[in-house]
Amino acid sequence: MKPTITELEARLQEQLLLARAVPGDRLLLADATLLGALDGSRPLTPAERTALQASPLTLRRFRHLAQQRRSAAQGERKEHRSAGAGWHGSRGLLRAAATAAVLDTLRTEDGYWTLDFLQSEQGWRVILALVADAPFAALAVQQGWQVQVRDGAGSLILRGGLDGDGECECAWPHVAAPVQHFQQHGASFAVEPAGQD
Amino acid sequence: MRLPGTRYQEPGWEQVRKLLGQASVQVLRQLAPHELQDPALLDRYVDQTGALLHACRHTARAAADGNSYGDSVGELALSLLYELPGQPSYWQAFMATLETEFARSGAFWQEPACEGILRKKVNDLYAGLRDRLDADAYMVATGRDCSPNRIYTYRMLDTAYREIAALFADWQAHGMQVGAILGRELHGIPIEVRQMKSISGCKAEWVIAWSATLEQYGGAAGPLHTRSKRFASLKNSPQKIAAMLAEIGEYEQLSANQDSAEAFRSDAGEAGAWLEDYWRVVHESEQCEQRGDYHQADQLLAPPDEAEWMDGVDNEAERETAGQGQGEVAQAVIDAADEATRLIEQDRSSAVSLPPNYLQLARLAQHAGSRMLGILAQESLPIRLAVFHKLLGVADDSYPDVWLDPATGELPTLQQLAALDGISMPTLRKRRNEAIDKLYAARDSVAA
Repeated sequence: MKPTITELEARLQEQLLLARAVPGDRLLLADATLLGALDGSRPLTPAERTALQASPLTLRRFRHLAQQRRSAAQGERKEHRSAGAGWHGSRGLLRAAATAAVLDTLRTEDGYWTLDFLQSEQGWRVILALVADAPFAALAVQQGWQVQVRDGAGSLILRGGLDGDGECECAWPHVAAPVQHFQQHGASFAVEPAGQD
Repeated sequence: MRLPGTRYQEPGWEQVRKLLGQASVQVLRQLAPHELQDPALLDRYVDQTGALLHACRHTARAAADGNSYGDSVGELALSLLYELPGQPSYWQAFMATLETEFARSGAFWQEPACEGILRKKVNDLYAGLRDRLDADAYMVATGRDCSPNRIYTYRMLDTAYREIAALFADWQAHGMQVGAILGRELHGIPIEVRQMKSISGCKAEWVIAWSATLEQYGGAAGPLHTRSKRFASLKNSPQKIAAMLAEIGEYEQLSANQDSAEAFRSDAGEAGAWLEDYWRVVHESEQCEQRGDYHQADQLLAPPDEAEWMDGVDNEAERETAGQGQGEVAQAVIDAADEATRLIEQDRSSAVSLPPNYLQLARLAQHAGSRMLGILAQESLPIRLAVFHKLLGVADDSYPDVWLDPATGELPTLQQLAALDGISMPTLRKRRNEAIDKLYAARDSVAA
């Protein structure tokens, strides 16, 4: 048995809304009005809402725009992923010199990313920065890519979206200072698109 | 011809028309005169014609391509048929012509000799309906106004282009006419003949001139030059013609380059995604109204030229009545039949070649908490299945398997359902329609 009764109900709803006989039906709302309601920037007035509910044709246009919007968003997400496909992630090692007691900058092997560590009164902070001449830098900043950093043992150190400067900052999540932590966890790190679990 | 949203405008239409004519004549031939007045006739006609079309869906004619979007002739015929109840004015007009003819020459539809007359009327019915549906679909796809008349005009221009192209291709044999279309005397092969590669390259002036030549070369006045008023204004508006030709050409190119012009249409499993948007939009609007923070004026579209303003339908009363009694519903839906009922059910199921436990299993496959199904709780299971039969068709991916007749992989036929319920077909139809009315009345409350 298919557990698709909700889908069934959705199909039924759709039919009830769209397959009604309304003599003289026509488009009652302009695309701009429907799109404003869809993106929440301008809710429908009561009269517009009544018009939408009373006109299967206007509803069909609404459905069309809603689906277009959803598939565009989906396409963007896909594009996002495929744009990131040129870059799947970067790895970096704790260099010998970095085994000193204080760690301030790490760089990935491909040179695209740096990790900076700042000590403040509240404790360590870690800043991931994208090097401006990375081939995907402009796109990544423009789209505000979600990225994450893991230590050599695979646990998460930082996750977030790149800001306009190609940076992403957060508090150091571990008790041990960065250098000790990295030394105990594989002496390496990886920067990758967020959501790769 | 392809235009955004349209499905019934390609050459496959000829076969769709014939198929609908054939099936309709078969069904209508059996009408008794008094049935013309029967309000249930449309329902019966759709059911019976649908069954015939369904039965012949594997014939060569029905399986042929009906358009370039992958719809077969049979599928287009069925979908057009099922749209008929949604456009009652077309059926009413059809009935009116039958009545007129009946008054003149009796029950002509029963006479084999008059089959042609009946077929012609059926043709007219569906020719009008397809342009209505395609005009609607065009509006949905583009957000621009359209009408059956406008679709008809597009088609006329498309045909004109094809005829002009045929004349150009054989320009040597039609030198005089081609010269008249181009507005000059020909000396050797006219360059236009080589240049016009698609409808986009066809000039409005040529269409007008071509229409003007038809009286002389074709034996009858051209479409822009008949006494009919349909295209009278178009003759003097070459810009309008040019814009329409360009639009056909553009979309032809666009749709040829894409696998499907509406790829997102059939994202499986997402039929309901837009409903979420709908409910959200309605909800936000209602909240706004409650808070009273409306600062914008209504942006309702004015009706286009001739279209009449639609009366705002007031759903208040409907909203109030709906939404009651949904709590006890779940109980009723799974209400187990007692032993005696079960035996009767088994007998009836077997009598119509369904598995003996069909009703029992089908009943369990209903979702107890479903609000929509709750609205139908007072109806018997066969009636509920008949509702789905009518609204979603005999086969839909969303149906639980146990609802389907193992022999066909589809919902039981209406005859089977009537027998399962121990009632006659007309009663089944009547109750089914009442149930559908209830659903319509309730739809807004479910959305809330």
